[in-house]
Amino acid sequence: MFLDIWPRWALGSLLAAGVVTIACRLFFPAAAVALNWLWLAPVVAAIPAVFLAMARAYRPEQIAALADSLHGGQGTLLALLEIRDPAWTASPAITGFSQFSMPRLRVWRRLATMAPAAAFLYIALMLPQHMPAGSNGVLANDIAADLQATLDELKKQDLITPSEDKEFEEQIEHIRKDAIERLDASSWEASDSMREKFAAKVTEKQDALKWAADSLSSLAAPGDSDASMTEAQAGELGTAINKLAKSGLLTNAPADLQKLLGGKDAIAGGKTQLPKDARALRKLAASLSGYLANRSEKLTGIAQLGKAAGRFDPSEFPLFSDERGPDGDGDPGSGGVNRGRGDAELTWGKESAMFDRFKSQPLPPGSFRSPDDWAPLAVLPGGPKELPELSVASAAVQYAGVAGQAAWRRTLAPRHYSAVKKYFENSAVEPNK
Amino acid sequence: MMEQTKTLLAPEAVGNAQTKIARLVGGLRQVLLGKEETIDEVVAALLAHGHVLLEGLPGLGKTELVKALSRLLSLDFRRIQFTPDLLPTDITGSHILQERDGRKDFVFHPGPVFTNVLLADEINRASPKTQAALLEAMQERRVTTFGETRVLPNPFFVLATQNPIELEGTYPLPEAQLDRFTFKVEITGVERTVLEEILLTRIHGEPPALAPVIDADELQDLFTVVDAVHLPRAVANYIARLVAATHPKSAEAPEQIRNFVKYGSSPRGAIAIGAAARGLALLRGKPNVGFDEVRRIAAPALAHRLVLDYAAKLEGFDARRLIDALLDAVPEVERGLPQTLGAR
Repeated sequence: MFLDIWPRWALGSLLAAGVVTIACRLFFPAAAVALNWLWLAPVVAAIPAVFLAMARAYRPEQIAALADSLHGGQGTLLALLEIRDPAWTASPAITGFSQFSMPRLRVWRRLATMAPAAAFLYIALMLPQHMPAGSNGVLANDIAADLQATLDELKKQDLITPSEDKEFEEQIEHIRKDAIERLDASSWEASDSMREKFAAKVTEKQDALKWAADSLSSLAAPGDSDASMTEAQAGELGTAINKLAKSGLLTNAPADLQKLLGGKDAIAGGKTQLPKDARALRKLAASLSGYLANRSEKLTGIAQLGKAAGRFDPSEFPLFSDERGPDGDGDPGSGGVNRGRGDAELTWGKESAMFDRFKSQPLPPGSFRSPDDWAPLAVLPGGPKELPELSVASAAVQYAGVAGQAAWRRTLAPRHYSAVKKYFENSAVEPNK
Repeated sequence: MMEQTKTLLAPEAVGNAQTKIARLVGGLRQVLLGKEETIDEVVAALLAHGHVLLEGLPGLGKTELVKALSRLLSLDFRRIQFTPDLLPTDITGSHILQERDGRKDFVFHPGPVFTNVLLADEINRASPKTQAALLEAMQERRVTTFGETRVLPNPFFVLATQNPIELEGTYPLPEAQLDRFTFKVEITGVERTVLEEILLTRIHGEPPALAPVIDADELQDLFTVVDAVHLPRAVANYIARLVAATHPKSAEAPEQIRNFVKYGSSPRGAIAIGAAARGLALLRGKPNVGFDEVRRIAAPALAHRLVLDYAAKLEGFDARRLIDALLDAVPEVERGLPQTLGAR
C-alpha cells in the first residue's frame, strides 16, 4: 500500500520542490544556499505516506475477497473465512488455491513516474540565480545620480555644450540601465570611465583656455613690434579663440567680447574673427584677458570634481575565500587568472583620483614656424624654378616621366588589369574622390 | 431477511441436492435440446421461488419447457392462453350465484391461478387490466376477490412467455409486472447440429415422454437447502454495487448506463440475484455463492428491470449490452489490487 501512495506523494513533492526552486531562483536569492535540501522532499513525503498506508491497509477479508476474485470468483475462500467449517477445507475449490499465482509487484513502473519530476527539480536547481531588479535599481540609480551630479556641476559652470550635454545624458542613462540589468564590477568601471570623460573634457577646456591665455600673453608681450610677428601671433590667437569657442567656453562671455569676436553665431560655429584694427584688437585682448582669468579660477575648482571617483565596494563582490583559489592561483607565478599578483595588496576603492593619476605638465606654447624664421644653408645660382600647380593625376603622370614610372606602374598580373584600370580610370575622372 | 447460517451446508447435503437438481436438469435437456444455459437459468430461478418470463420467437420451445418442468416436478400445472378479451376473473376465479339447499349464495370458483405451475402463454396479448390480475399472485402468492384473500398453493410459479416481434395487438408488460419476474430469459434460435438432432429424434416434433423426477416434498427440501447456501458478505457487496450502478445517477454507473438508462433496478432485483445465485451455486454443487454465479445471472435478473431512454434505441443499445457494460465497469471487489501489483 505504501508503494501505491508514496510515489504519487513523492512525485508531487518533487514538482512542488521544483516550483519552489524556480520561485527562489527568480525572487529569493537568499534562499539559494538551501535549495539543495529540497532533494529530501520525497523522503519527507514518505512520513505521511507511511501513516496513510497504515490507515488504508487491507483487512484480511479484503485480501481474501481479492484472492477469491483473482482465482475465479468461486466464493469458497470467502465462505470459509466467514464460517470456519472444516468439512470444506479439502474441497477442490480450496486446494486449488495452492496453485494460486501471486500478483506481480510492479515497483519500477511506479517509481519511473518520479523520474520526470526529479529531472524537473534538477533543471530548476541548475537555473542561474536571478538578482531581483529592485536591488540593482537602487545601486544603479546611485551610480547614475553621482554621474548626473558631476554633469550638472559642469553645466552650471558652462563647461558643457548642449550637444555634449545630450551625449553625456544618454551615456549616463545607458550606464544606469546596464547596471539595473546586471550589476557587477563593470558597472563601476563604466562609471569611472564616464568620470574620465568628464575629466578629459575639462582638461580639454583647460588646455584651450591655457592656449588662449598663452596666445594672448604672447600677443601682448612688449617688444614684439615686428608687424609680421604680430600678425602670426594674432593668427595663433585666432585659432586658440576658435578652439575656445568650439569648447563652449565663450558661450557666456560678456557681450562686448562676443561682439568683438564677430557675434554669437560666429562663436557658436567656432569661426570667430579678430578685429583688424589695432585698437579693437587691444580692446579684445583686454576683455579676453579678464574673461580668461575668471574662467581659469573656476576651472581650478571644477578640477576637484574628478577627485570623487566611482564607488566600488569589494565586499559586494567577494573574492575566493580560500587563499588558493579555484584557479590554482595563490602564489606569484603559479598561473591562473586572478586580480593580480597573489602577494600584492589589493586596494579596491582606494584608487588614485582621476586628476592625480597623471600630473599635468605645462608644455611650452606651440607656434607655427614663420616662413621668415629660417637661415640659408646654401645659395644656389639662378632663381627658383617655379612649376605650375598641377592636379594629382597630371602631377603623377609628370612625375612618372622622370621617375621611370616605377612608383605607379607596377607589374600586374593579367587578371588584375581590368580592376586596376577601372580604379584609375575613375580616379582620373574624379581625382579628388 | 433470512438469517445467515453459521455452518456451511454439509458436502453430503449439497451432493444430494445437486443429484436431484441434475435429474431435473437432465429431463429438461431432453426436451429442450442445445439450451443448457437457458435451462440452468430457469432451474436457478425455480429454486429461488422465482417467476420467469420467457421471451423468444414462436417455435423455440418455450411452452414445451414449461410443460416439461411441471411434469418433471409432478406439480399441478395450468395454462392460460392470454388473449385480448381475457378478463381478470378468468385468471383469479370469481364468485358465482349458486343455489344450494334452497339457498342462493355466491360460491367462489377458483381460477387457473390456483395451481403450482402457471403457464401464462403470450402474456402480452392480454389487456393491462388482466395482466394486473397476476400482480398480487406473483408477489404475495395470494388472491383477493370480493374482499376475501386466498393463499395460492405452495410452490407457486408463473412462467410466462411472450413473442418479441408480433407487437400489433399486444400490451407491453408494465414495469411493476416485469419487476415481479425473477428472470427474463431470452430464448434464441438453435444451432444447426441441434436442429439435426431434433429432426432425427422427433418425428412430429413431440418431445419425449417424461416421468416425474422430484416430488413436492423433495422440492420443499431443495428449497430449504437453497436457502442454506451461504452468501459471503463480499459477494453481497458486489450484488449491491451492481444493482446500485444500474441507476444513472450512481457514482459507479458506467457511461452507457448514464447515457441510456432512465431508471435502474429496484431492490427486488438485488434480492432476485441473491436468491437465484444460491440456486445456481447449488446446481453447481457449491455450499456458497461466488462472484462467478452473480456475473452469470446478472443479465437475466437485471436486464428487464432497466427502463431505457429513447436514446438507447436510437443508438442500438439493448438492456443486455448495458448489463455487459455494467459487469465490465463494476469490479467484483470494491477495493481492487494496489497499483503496484498486477495480475499475471
